[in-house]
Amino acid sequence: MRYADWPLSAPVNITWEITHHCNLRCIHCLSASSDESPDELSFDECRAIVDQLAALQVFEINFGGGEPLLKDYFLPLLRYIHEKGIVTCVSTNGTVLTGEAVACFAGSPLVNEQVSLDGATPDVNDHIRGAGTFHRIVNGIERLAGKNIPLSINTVVTSLNFDQLDRIKELAAFYGARLRVSRFRPSGRARQSWEMLRLSRAQLRELSAWLNADPDILTGDSFFSVTAGGRRRMGLDMCGACKMTCCVDPVGDVYPCAFMQEEAFRGGNLRETTFKDIWDNSSTFERFRRLEPASCRRCPRFESCHGGCPAVAWFISRDLNSADPECLAAWGQAQKSTLKAQNHNLKLKSHYTQ
Amino acid sequence: MAGRLAHGVQVRKEAWGLLFYLPAGHRVCFIRSGDWLCPGHFDGTWSLEDIIADVSTRTGTPAEMVERSLPRLTARLAAGGMVADEIR
Repeated sequence: MRYADWPLSAPVNITWEITHHCNLRCIHCLSASSDESPDELSFDECRAIVDQLAALQVFEINFGGGEPLLKDYFLPLLRYIHEKGIVTCVSTNGTVLTGEAVACFAGSPLVNEQVSLDGATPDVNDHIRGAGTFHRIVNGIERLAGKNIPLSINTVVTSLNFDQLDRIKELAAFYGARLRVSRFRPSGRARQSWEMLRLSRAQLRELSAWLNADPDILTGDSFFSVTAGGRRRMGLDMCGACKMTCCVDPVGDVYPCAFMQEEAFRGGNLRETTFKDIWDNSSTFERFRRLEPASCRRCPRFESCHGGCPAVAWFISRDLNSADPECLAAWGQAQKSTLKAQNHNLKLKSHYTQ
Repeated sequence: MAGRLAHGVQVRKEAWGLLFYLPAGHRVCFIRSGDWLCPGHFDGTWSLEDIIADVSTRTGTPAEMVERSLPRLTARLAAGGMVADEIR
């Protein structure tokens, strides 16, 4: 039995998109954030949810959005969560940091900060995150650096910044931060930018080798589908949605993960029912826990990725039973097919020229 | 000696045993201990002998059997940075 199959009474961590409001319009934004949604959860509603999560001993809440710091009650909510002993990770775009926010982060041992940066140079980063953002983000990183706040720089790996990953890692190290790389997935605004920003197979192969060679790079289990042997046992080797984690959106809807925020995958709403009820009884969640793409069962890599990322498979094929289209085995099969086809063509050519 | 939870480490009871959470690296550790162990055993007040006696009393498992298994388990927890070898 795999560890991630051991039934949990509650998630290890949840991703909480606290608002859809964002001052940036990144072209790869997973939630297509822009304006605040009508009817986002109130402070009191959020506190009641935190009470539930604390009672269930959820260990960690990862905040994203939208830009969490644009939510007026975000810092009081963070303090309330820390009073409950829950570890937090705050993902920010780094452009709206206030002195109060920096002091709040620096004052708690339970907070981790993650600043999004998508290039080592303004031209690359700004193409993705918007004009002028590179310098504003680096200013934000400078404000957080040296304050004894666990800090990471998060980069969504795309075809545009792929060649700059080592430089971004150097930049992170300069500020005492670690580099965390995330997988580019075709949800939210990324559906429109998918073909332009997705990695080529050669790049994915190179990325796999790069990650394999450097265990200091954090991945947040983003890349288990391409993980090679060197990173085994460093994280999950399968999708943790509904097994170890899930996602709460700004209006209290609960989904398997942040990349699967579609009505078909909604497990329930926290205004209508309890978190525990959704976690234990949602048929959607139960279906996710049993998910095992039929096309992957005979794959020699199955034990290494268990079908890869269902979100990528879903958005590409609209079929949860499909394999992750960016998996390593698929490259192998594609290579074999290409070689077979080339050999076949060579034979034909040879046959017709004799 | 069994020890107490290391700094920042949290633990909760699951049907199959204990789930430890280590904030450093955001890692978890699954310990399939069934009903033998409970989070309270790692509050720093229990010696290994106390835990063996407690498990034996609660589960009806012969103390010798618990004694054979438990030190390996607690040693693993210590090696993994989940418990510190201290008793308050």
